[in-house]
Amino acid sequence: MKFGNLVIAGIVTGSIYATFAVCVSVWYRVSNILNLAVGDFAMAGALGVDNLYRVKGLPLPAAIAATLVVIAVFAYLYDQVVLRIAQDGPRRAEGIVVTFFFTFALSFFIDGVAKMLFGTDVHAAPALWAGQSLAFAGLHLERAGLLVLACAVIIGGAFWLYIRYTLGGKALEACGENPVGARIAGIDTRRYRRLIFVGTAVIAAVFGIVESPITGYTYLSGATISLTGFLAAAYGGFRKPGRALLAGLFIGILEALLGGYVSAEYGDTVLYAILAALVLAWPRGLGFESAVSG
Amino acid sequence: MMMPVLSAAPRARSLGPAALVVLVGAVIVLLYGQQYTGSVFVLSACYAIVTAGMAVQLGFSQQIAFSQSVFMGVGAYGVAMLNTHFNIPVLAATPIVMIGAALAALLLGSVVTRASGLALAVATLMLPLIAVGYVSSAAFLGGAVGAPLTGTLWPSSSTATIAVGGGLVVIVLLGVTMFVTSRILSSDIGLELFVLGVDERTAAAMGVRTPRRKLELFVLGCVFATLGGAVYAGTQQFVPETLVDPTAELALLIMLFIGGRRSILGAVVGALVIQYLQGASNWISVNILVVEGLLLTVVLLVDPEGLAGIVNTGLARLRARRGAAAPSGLPSGGLPSAGLPSAGLPSGEAGGPQAPSSEAGGPQTSYVAATGAGRGGADSAGRGPGAGAVSVAADGAGASATPLLECRGIGKEYGGLNVLHDVTLALPGRGLFGLCGPNGAGKSTLLNVIGGSVPPTRGQVLLHGEDITRKPPHERFYQGISRTFQAVHLVKGRTVLDNVAVSCLASHTSGIVTRIARSRLDEARDKAAQALRDLGMQRLADREVSSLTLENQRMVELARALAPGPRLLLLDEPASGLSEEQRRRLADLLRDLGNRTCVLLVEHDLDLVAEVSQRIFVLSGGRLVFDGGPSDFRSSPVVNSLLVGL
Amino acid sequence: MSSETAALKVSNLSVSYGNVVAVHDATFTVAEGEACAITGPNGNGKSSILMGVTGMVRRRGTVEIFGTPAKNGDVRWAARHGLTLVPERRQLYPDLSAADNIILGCYAWTRSISKARKSGPFGKAIELFPELKPHLKQAAGTLSGGQQQMVAIARGLASDPKILAVDEPCLGLAEAIAKRVYDVLASIHEQGTTLIVVEEAPKRALTLCNRRVEVRNGMAGTP
Repeated sequence: MKFGNLVIAGIVTGSIYATFAVCVSVWYRVSNILNLAVGDFAMAGALGVDNLYRVKGLPLPAAIAATLVVIAVFAYLYDQVVLRIAQDGPRRAEGIVVTFFFTFALSFFIDGVAKMLFGTDVHAAPALWAGQSLAFAGLHLERAGLLVLACAVIIGGAFWLYIRYTLGGKALEACGENPVGARIAGIDTRRYRRLIFVGTAVIAAVFGIVESPITGYTYLSGATISLTGFLAAAYGGFRKPGRALLAGLFIGILEALLGGYVSAEYGDTVLYAILAALVLAWPRGLGFESAVSG
Repeated sequence: MMMPVLSAAPRARSLGPAALVVLVGAVIVLLYGQQYTGSVFVLSACYAIVTAGMAVQLGFSQQIAFSQSVFMGVGAYGVAMLNTHFNIPVLAATPIVMIGAALAALLLGSVVTRASGLALAVATLMLPLIAVGYVSSAAFLGGAVGAPLTGTLWPSSSTATIAVGGGLVVIVLLGVTMFVTSRILSSDIGLELFVLGVDERTAAAMGVRTPRRKLELFVLGCVFATLGGAVYAGTQQFVPETLVDPTAELALLIMLFIGGRRSILGAVVGALVIQYLQGASNWISVNILVVEGLLLTVVLLVDPEGLAGIVNTGLARLRARRGAAAPSGLPSGGLPSAGLPSAGLPSGEAGGPQAPSSEAGGPQTSYVAATGAGRGGADSAGRGPGAGAVSVAADGAGASATPLLECRGIGKEYGGLNVLHDVTLALPGRGLFGLCGPNGAGKSTLLNVIGGSVPPTRGQVLLHGEDITRKPPHERFYQGISRTFQAVHLVKGRTVLDNVAVSCLASHTSGIVTRIARSRLDEARDKAAQALRDLGMQRLADREVSSLTLENQRMVELARALAPGPRLLLLDEPASGLSEEQRRRLADLLRDLGNRTCVLLVEHDLDLVAEVSQRIFVLSGGRLVFDGGPSDFRSSPVVNSLLVGL
Repeated sequence: MSSETAALKVSNLSVSYGNVVAVHDATFTVAEGEACAITGPNGNGKSSILMGVTGMVRRRGTVEIFGTPAKNGDVRWAARHGLTLVPERRQLYPDLSAADNIILGCYAWTRSISKARKSGPFGKAIELFPELKPHLKQAAGTLSGGQQQMVAIARGLASDPKILAVDEPCLGLAEAIAKRVYDVLASIHEQGTTLIVVEEAPKRALTLCNRRVEVRNGMAGTP
């Protein structure tokens, strides 16, 4: 019973990691930039809705809509101003500067703004589906957890359909597979960089809104979420969204099991030690070599 | 682009900024040491010690390892534990902890640095995560509360002396750190680190022992981080758990990148600026995250090299403007397009500032010196006393017995595709040999197999009868295999002379630490200057490489490959992108080289190949389909249908 | 050469990468219906000419496609106005199926996948290579070199080009496959498409092409 409950909890957190990992790797394929701010968008979504609903007294749907619009506009402007100069400008930066540090600065910026606007306390968006946690044959599942799973499945499914059944989705795939080849077919890779950046920012915000009733966020929570998404994406070789998804689920379940069986205190320490050992023992198998050269 | 710290006259230059920081720092500490401003300044100096170490590891050598905050924690907690539990004074505990940390870093590094690129970054990213998880639960470290210290960095009964004395110690240590790191960067090993930053493959082909250097860098970065942590604990008298937080690592990175990742002084200034802003106790320090985020974005957008880059570009512009106003100095733009000598002529002028009258010094370097002495003297000239590590040209004499290079049944598969198929060839000690073939025939792969960067699936490579199939590229380099690359791989931001000196370094066998005492860069530079003189390029010696034309960049690569006096020279398409006129000059040079050493030339320009080669190999679909002299080559139906297409 | 409007008119084209000038002041025209070979040793700028003309890289000088000046750096514009590149080394999307690779050629003129599937150019592109039929669902990266080249040409055809520029179509292919590729190119030419073929050696190209532009050191001329 304990095992079952731990696995369920692991799948819920794992599905968040997985979604974020997919967001990171899909965008990395298109832009060659690792989005270290994806978790900060989640935090901003959750705290934004909480602020608008609880403090400003907006009705919940309006609060959610307003938050998502603000985040989308902000992401759009960031792409248009910063990424445009950074990647397309005459003084193009290269290598690690672009890969890590612009989104890294973005993450700091968002956290700082969140601190300014929402303070330093723990808050959460209101539960969208309030009530007791669901129980079935001794297994427990928080309602918010079920919503998280549902969101992951819906968003994942929509994304899969987009890739599989539309020309735009295939063009997105092409950008990731071979940017030169994509441009030859007349595909505007910059447009996809923008589209996916804005899209993932909004998706991350949605997840933050749905998940926050379980854990509660502060203005610093974003970095931790980004980090786990980044790690899961790393184990998918950064360029393979499918593997990133599995890696996210795996990390979530492993984390829950280690916390439950090994040690509540040192569970995370052991988890990260295992993950580090995996990279070192098996870099090629995890796709790091190709990620570096590509 | 680079800080002036890195150009000529190493000792004086590395002392300069360090002395400046110590002087200014001491004045600030003496004046404000007991006030809040002073304590913020001392705190930022602690961080500056860490970022200076990061600049070497992360900035120059591009080895991204997120280990600094962890070792800063090791230093701080180590000193705190020794001080509280064993009553060891902080100043005495610091070296103990540093030694311990160095050993730990050596152990950890020997595992971690086997990874490279993103794998290294991701693996080391776990370190702060593991550390914070551990520290926050470990009761004897104070857990989430943190660890207090009973002692202080500068023990005294008066609080004023504690503050000022401790501050002065930190400033002096910062000065030492800056001096040491600048010394390393301006030494011969520093040059190796630059090449490592270009890419690991080029570095290995130039004889850099990449695994060892990466490990040394890792340990070096960790030791400075430990020192920074130790003095942090000593001056703050308290170690907060947040010191090892992943966000602490990120904060360090922000300091480094705002200041300029490729500049020691920049890294120090970055730490000072950020810590100062953080301690300002006004709107800025409350919203420090916003400020840091904006600052980093803006700085990187303006110049990826950070504040140091911005200042340097500004200075360079100012200098250029002043130079234009007073056109007395160097010939700024009007350099000769190539200035290759006609073969065999001694180069007339003693060019370049690095050229003391060593024209008379004669055969001091490797065989290229023989240009002046005439071809006949090549063998004897090669055995100069200074040739030392690379006295190789003379061996060519015995070529008739054993071939210099032998490839036996080389095969190479990439993912089921046969790129090379049973290639067998032998080259004698001297002569110029062409390797042709249509695109995708496997020419570059064969060159890589010989150079060692690509292991063959089947077959053997022998150098002078010795099987070198399993030897890494840097060892083959010592045995006399030297090469150029199809795309130009030079270290941007350094002079032509330094780029050539890369291959003349005698430092390959020694460690980083020895170079703090004595740099041997000047010896390498002397050799490089000689090689440049022999190619008639001495006037380019002080130019920054990215300001050169393509032809001259290729010539610099060639000079770099020639300078150590190789037995076997591998040239990958040296003529591509050159004009007719430039090709003619190259042909003259190649012919001359072929008289002195063994050259394997991969080239598409058939006229050029036929003109200079004594024997030509043609690859097609990974197989050797032709092997013969230039006249057969011209008349061969195979060659004509494959390459000429007539 | 011919009195009708030129399909492609290139004047004073220069392409540089950083401080390396790959193409220097190239001027040439290709008449409608012509098959033109661009030849010369590798590294002399043949591919760079095509890259500049199609807008894959920024260029100086003017390019006119059927009399309309082409936008600099806009590949889609060129494709919509009838000029498509089949690049050197094919540049396929290795994990996508062959059919998906080909249908992405239609992206030049539509965003609708059903429209693309039913379209004439797509159908024609598929028809032209009956040997690809059994492999259409296979990932392009797992196909043989010859099949990959056919997919690349088919992708080019799916964009409904009036001018098809093919860069080194026989690179790394066995003789028999290379001949098949040339047969297909010949039939495409017969159906009225203007062809530009880049080859290092003129021999094979001249079996198909009636005109030749020789490139040496980034400069184009007619031998």
